[in-house]
Amino acid sequence: MPLETPARIVRALVGRGYNAEREAVTLIAGSDDPGRTLARVVEAAPDDALRITADHVREVLASAPAADPPGTAPTGPTAADAAAASDAVASHTAASDPSASGATSHDNAAHTSQSTPAEAKVGSGGRNVDPALRSLEIANDMTGQSTGTGEYDDFVKVFRDRYEKLSKMLRGRVNHRPAKAISNMSGGEDAELIGLVDDVRSTKSGHWIIDLEDTTGTFPCLVMKDKDIAGYVDELLMDECIAVQGTLSGDAGILFVDSMHFPDVPRSHRPNTADRDVQAALISDVHVGSQEFMAGAWNRFADWLHTEEAERIEYLLIAGDMVEGVGVYPNQDEELDVIDIYEQYEAFSEHLKSVPGDLDIVMIPGNHDAVRLAEPQPGFDDELRDIMSAHDARITSNPSMVTLEGVNVLMYHGVSLDEVIAELPADKASYDEPHKAMYQLLKKRHVAPQFGGHTRLAPEELDYLVMEDVPDIFHTGHVHKLGWGKYHNVLAVNSGCWQAQTDFQKSVNIDPDAGYAPIVDLDTLNMTVRKFS
Amino acid sequence: MREEETRYFRRIEARLDEAFDLAEAAKATGYDPKTEVEIPVAKDMADRVENILGIDGVAERVRELEGEMSREEAALELVTDFVDGNVGDYDSREGKVEGAVRTAVALLTEGVVAAPIEGIDRVEILENDDGTEFVNVYYAGPIRSAGGTAQALSVLVADYARSLLDIDEYKARTDEVERYVEEVNLYDKETGLQYSPKDKESRFIAENMPIMLDGEATGDEEVSGYRDLERVDTNSARGGMCLVMAEGIALKAPKIQRYTRQLDEVDWPWLQDLIDGTIGKDDGKAAKADDAGDDADEADDAEADPDADADDAESDAPDGPNRVEPATKFLRDLIAGRPVFGHPSAPGGFRLRYGRARNHGFATAGVHPATMHIVDDFIATGTQIKTERPGKAGGVVPVDSIEGPTVRLANGDVRRIDDPEEAEELQNGVEKILDLGEYLVNFGEFVENNHPLAPASYVFEWWIQDFEATEANVQALRDDPAVDLEEPSVEDALSWATEFDAPLHPVYTYLWHDISVERFDALADAVAAGEVVAAEADGGTTAALEHDNEPERGLEGTLVLDNTPEIREALEHLLVAHRQTDETLRVPVWRPLARSLGLTDDRERTWELDDLSERAREWDDGDNAVEAVNEVAPFTVRERAPTRIGNRMGRPEKSERRDLSPAVHTLFPIGEAGGSQRDVGDAARHRGESGKRGQISVRLGRRKCPDCGAFGFKSKCPDCGGHTEPHYECDDCGTVLEPDESGRVYCERCDWDVESAEWQDIDLNTEYRDALERVGERESSFQILKGVKGLTSANKTPEPIEKGVLRAKHDVSSFKDGTVRYDMTDLPVTAVRPEELDVTADHFRELGYETDIDGEPLRFDDQLVELKVQDIVLSNGAARHMMQTADFVDDLLEQFYGLDRFYEIEERDDLIGELVFGMAPHTSAAVVGRVVGFTTAAVGYAHPYFHAAKRRNCDGDEDCVMLLMDGLLNFSKEYLPDKRGGQMDAPLVMSSRIDPSEIDDEAHNMDIVRQYPREFYEATLRMEDPDDWEDEVTIAEEYLGTDREYTGFDHTHDTTDIAAGPDLSAYKTLGSMMDKMDAQLFLARKLRAVDETDVAERVIEYHFLPDLIGNLRAFSRQETRCLDCGEKYRRMPLSGDCRECGGRVNLTVHQGSVNKYMDTAIQVAEEFDCRDYTKQRLEVLEKSLESVFENDKNKQSGIADFM
Repeated sequence: MPLETPARIVRALVGRGYNAEREAVTLIAGSDDPGRTLARVVEAAPDDALRITADHVREVLASAPAADPPGTAPTGPTAADAAAASDAVASHTAASDPSASGATSHDNAAHTSQSTPAEAKVGSGGRNVDPALRSLEIANDMTGQSTGTGEYDDFVKVFRDRYEKLSKMLRGRVNHRPAKAISNMSGGEDAELIGLVDDVRSTKSGHWIIDLEDTTGTFPCLVMKDKDIAGYVDELLMDECIAVQGTLSGDAGILFVDSMHFPDVPRSHRPNTADRDVQAALISDVHVGSQEFMAGAWNRFADWLHTEEAERIEYLLIAGDMVEGVGVYPNQDEELDVIDIYEQYEAFSEHLKSVPGDLDIVMIPGNHDAVRLAEPQPGFDDELRDIMSAHDARITSNPSMVTLEGVNVLMYHGVSLDEVIAELPADKASYDEPHKAMYQLLKKRHVAPQFGGHTRLAPEELDYLVMEDVPDIFHTGHVHKLGWGKYHNVLAVNSGCWQAQTDFQKSVNIDPDAGYAPIVDLDTLNMTVRKFS
Repeated sequence: MREEETRYFRRIEARLDEAFDLAEAAKATGYDPKTEVEIPVAKDMADRVENILGIDGVAERVRELEGEMSREEAALELVTDFVDGNVGDYDSREGKVEGAVRTAVALLTEGVVAAPIEGIDRVEILENDDGTEFVNVYYAGPIRSAGGTAQALSVLVADYARSLLDIDEYKARTDEVERYVEEVNLYDKETGLQYSPKDKESRFIAENMPIMLDGEATGDEEVSGYRDLERVDTNSARGGMCLVMAEGIALKAPKIQRYTRQLDEVDWPWLQDLIDGTIGKDDGKAAKADDAGDDADEADDAEADPDADADDAESDAPDGPNRVEPATKFLRDLIAGRPVFGHPSAPGGFRLRYGRARNHGFATAGVHPATMHIVDDFIATGTQIKTERPGKAGGVVPVDSIEGPTVRLANGDVRRIDDPEEAEELQNGVEKILDLGEYLVNFGEFVENNHPLAPASYVFEWWIQDFEATEANVQALRDDPAVDLEEPSVEDALSWATEFDAPLHPVYTYLWHDISVERFDALADAVAAGEVVAAEADGGTTAALEHDNEPERGLEGTLVLDNTPEIREALEHLLVAHRQTDETLRVPVWRPLARSLGLTDDRERTWELDDLSERAREWDDGDNAVEAVNEVAPFTVRERAPTRIGNRMGRPEKSERRDLSPAVHTLFPIGEAGGSQRDVGDAARHRGESGKRGQISVRLGRRKCPDCGAFGFKSKCPDCGGHTEPHYECDDCGTVLEPDESGRVYCERCDWDVESAEWQDIDLNTEYRDALERVGERESSFQILKGVKGLTSANKTPEPIEKGVLRAKHDVSSFKDGTVRYDMTDLPVTAVRPEELDVTADHFRELGYETDIDGEPLRFDDQLVELKVQDIVLSNGAARHMMQTADFVDDLLEQFYGLDRFYEIEERDDLIGELVFGMAPHTSAAVVGRVVGFTTAAVGYAHPYFHAAKRRNCDGDEDCVMLLMDGLLNFSKEYLPDKRGGQMDAPLVMSSRIDPSEIDDEAHNMDIVRQYPREFYEATLRMEDPDDWEDEVTIAEEYLGTDREYTGFDHTHDTTDIAAGPDLSAYKTLGSMMDKMDAQLFLARKLRAVDETDVAERVIEYHFLPDLIGNLRAFSRQETRCLDCGEKYRRMPLSGDCRECGGRVNLTVHQGSVNKYMDTAIQVAEEFDCRDYTKQRLEVLEKSLESVFENDKNKQSGIADFM
């Protein structure tokens, strides 16, 4: 039996009646012939030992010809490893036991059968990758491109850009007439209009009036409550762009809407796929520095990435909240494990080091990071980049479009999801099904449409928050809930988090999905989820 | 009631009647919305309740019940009356419950506050999931003013009514229960609750509550967990409900339980579990602490508990004195510019002294006027301070019969300053404030706050009783002109202490508890080794110390010690007056010190450290030398200042006219025509769309003249002079309607509410000119006449413009209800000297004062007189404003109503004896007061009962006065805004005389004795429960309902001038926020009791950071506004320009307002060595600001760019 993965080593030891320290397992895995080492360790272990310690293994290894651990093998244990060592057995078992991961279970057998054993040069770390086959491009990065100076005109510019980009997507469907021109038309005529939603209100009799605005002015559009399209009104957010078709009232003062259109993702959208069998892990919300950061789960994840099972994972995308940050909420210092913000990033960097060095990593900031909160958020500044230099991770702004071997992944931290969930009816968007809220954003082709509410906007020359190109994968985080699904063939993934339930979350009834890693096959856009908690 | 009081009230009522008659005559002219005066006079509480509620028959029934039972019981008894239909005219079951609940709240709040009308929106009967019915009470924000007990009882009353009406209990759904839990937390976070129930408490209450508590959304923040519930209309926090649940039910559970036990129909067995804290699954450690119920500081106290328990456990070996535990709550939310005077219980802070000065009690703090100056004038009379104990806040009053501050001057003098003038002179030379002096708190304050007595300072009034308890002939000493008992000579003090068994006199008792035993030992050595030089030969003695070198004091010469840091600090902490030079410490009065140190008069040391008992050496871990002193000294030495009280500045004192913003002269609408100034003159000249001058279109109520049938908006028919009435006509069907009982106008046919208001085109120019002419004024008689944009009242009834013209002429402005108001901080005073009120004994005799407090005939201006219960003292500003108002009222009577002038004020003294209304925010009842004098302090001094009748205490609260005639003439309910809270702060009823039993009972907890007994002081050392001492120290409650209820308010401490100290707090005289903050930090460095780093940290944490974060957030989601027409836009228009007028639109939050504190905050953080956490938060914010406001491509290029 090949014993190259820590999980299998653990299982083999358990089978022989032993628990084991994490470091011991690492040492066994790193030896020339883990199978033989394991057998010798068991043999050499004292009769009364219940637990194989690192010392036991070292003794055995020292008595045998020394073997250099390969470069990709896990490096020495960090402090957090040591702390987590005591529960090493249980957690490894959980990570490899399908039944423990419940709904998100995966099929080990299927993975094995899909892998390509012929090419596998079995190393002790289990990974065998060829970086030359990869490609990774980033678009929409505004880091260092922030030109806004907080003037009124900057705001006007950004909304005009939004209108221009989104209205373009709708022009094919309606024959837009400027609001001002419509106000000069006579009653009873048909009219079509594309505009940003300026206001939505209900009339005394329960109908809806939507004020639509274009660059010439606003025009009120009435949606009768008994029409089918009235259902759309519930989904509207301020400042998104829609098109309407209808007939002007007798006095030409209002437009009776017959149909309504959203920029949307075309139903015919055919996603791009990679040419080879390669995977990306999509995670977010690591929150290093928080007392609730799950170092154990993270380490299991990192260890697992070193295994053969994970060798097709060549990309790691992190959608914000690397650290818990400082001053995010009042008296946060009382709940911090690491109080110094720079030390938080250093600790994060240490944790990042434990994933395989051959991974291509892309990171965007989130609302806990030491970057401006207003969106778009530029990537980390040089000081923080220097701290997070591990594995040459790519840092880009929030949101950004990351293209992995042809597959377009829109990364966005997801602050606007709170607002979408708050504003829309529960069946359209909820914390339990965060991907549904993401569908709404895809439909609106904008990651954070509503201005003036929860989401903060930094005015720039361009509206970086518009989804100009349809992504193949839409990746967000922020709400600490795991959810995924497809909307018009776009895979929407909200990754969970690596932070256990906080007191605040407890008080508002949020049960986070912590310690999961969604894995996407870039050649099929199929997704599996691994549980490490 | 005694003859004297009867005369007093008759006098007030006579003047009131006089005014009333004239006002009725004025009203009868028909120019006002109603033809009679709209503020009814209430004789008693029952009247007020009925008037506020507008339910007939309540007063009579209340009076019947009042004699028989308590007010709470009466409220419950009335439920039966409502249910049976004996009281109130309600057909529906909902109405009956509603009437009962409102009446209960009104009764329990003495018919003064607006809670019963504004705090309860409605009662509904809804259906449970099992098909049974339940009662839903819908609360609104103003229920807050009812207070916890009334809130809780309102629920009980609703439940009682429910059971009598045979309606089932409310069965909460699980998600509703959880919603309550989340919502109470949200509200607590957003607005703050006095008491924050634990989750399990909220859950437990929600599960057991037999009626549903519901209410209006009061905040913007929404719950995130339990949203969109079927039976809860809103996702926001329902403030009224949260208050009732937390501050009502959770906090007052023991009180409600008392009443549920009396009722057979109502059974709330679960209250017992709530009280015991035996609820929920976990250990219940937190909830248990709250059984006392009333104490909001519980959390802080609880933290301290382990120590106290530890003491109890080892009671056989006490290792330290009893001390109250430091509480830090008062430091929360510190803001820039409002200094901290003392950290919690920190040495050098205020020393607790028990007693009540004549201007003291009822949530006030007595501070020496010299201290007020020494803290850089930050404290003035009336300045609010947030305090560590016994309450939460208090208004500062000057008391100069207590000790002032001790300071070290730049020239090396360490001394106490007891003279305010001297303090003012020396202010700039103060290097360190070693001690803030004494802090006078009256016993009643501890009763009111249910705070265990804190160990008392050793002071004269205690010592003299100790002394009297010995064999000494104290009376003989009192009579001996050569002996000063309060400030005895060294010789006298030492001999009394040694000959009789009395403790050493407080004047020579130093603060031994503030130095360690080790230091005590070192000091004994130093003093023994020191040198005594003859006073005459002491070249180092300065003029400032001369006083202490007077022959009888400095006979022994001056003691000169080596100046070492240890000894210097010891003397400073002991508060021994001395002088410091580079090499020496010179102590002029040293003998009591030497004797206390266990030295002989020849300064020979007779003991070694090892001689001390273990107890003395280990007392308070060796940090407190008082036991050591008592072992080595030849007399007993008491702890001089065992309790220090930390505090900080809260609000500054206030004495300002109340102007709406912008100020309003007349409640006449002019739309946008008058520009942003709402200038009626401009509007009258304005050419509108029609092109005609002064043509404006505004919403006004339509009124009809019953005599000639003409329509118009005026109250007096311009055609025939008849008095018009609002005209209600349904827009749709044209039916003419009348308001129903509740004032609602409803069209049955069209199924909607009908209003009298409509858009009317009026010729403002003509109206304005006519008004000027009618009162015979020209436009030049005033600067500007301001109207309002639109009216907010239900019927949109405008005021006659003439009233505005006269107001503008006299520079007074109108509040939303038509009255002219002046705001002042409330302070209590029970005895005054005519002199200090800038009036004479003659004035006082004219007012009916006959004797001084000792019963001597009133002859001189400086005699102390007990203040009558409705007499008030106006600040100078208020007096000026009242004179202007009186002139306005006189002109109004003469030029508008065509009647006689009423006041004829020529000089300020003419105001004496005139009547005013006192009225507090959130209440709906005015109290009649009489002006008796004036003060330079920026406060309104009045009898504590007067403030209590308005339901105010004096902890820095402020409220207003109105001139009587102005209220009678100009107030109208017709002007009140038609929205939640509109009836608040309006005189819906007035009380002409104060019944002490019918006021806020907080005032009854004021002690009214001349002296506290010796046993009381001793009890404080044992930290006894104040309730056990109510019999020994009489509080006002004792005399309720007796002949003495209005008089006999004695005090323990006199003060020279009730307006001593700075006239205004430095907070008000310093200019910018930066100046204030600099002064705050400067003071923090000077004060020994203050940790300046902590202050800086808190200012950043609670003021700068929230400001920066809040503004940055506001910036990135801001509204915009048209600079030309003022139109607001939620988002920037795509066109860039104003959609209304094409004008320029701009931001409402600019870069400047976002980062105004950034540099200062960073600088303060550096300078005061704040934590890295704080510095990093600032760093992150600074980067965010740069990122938002700086162009990356246009940054300042460094030299590197050119290399």
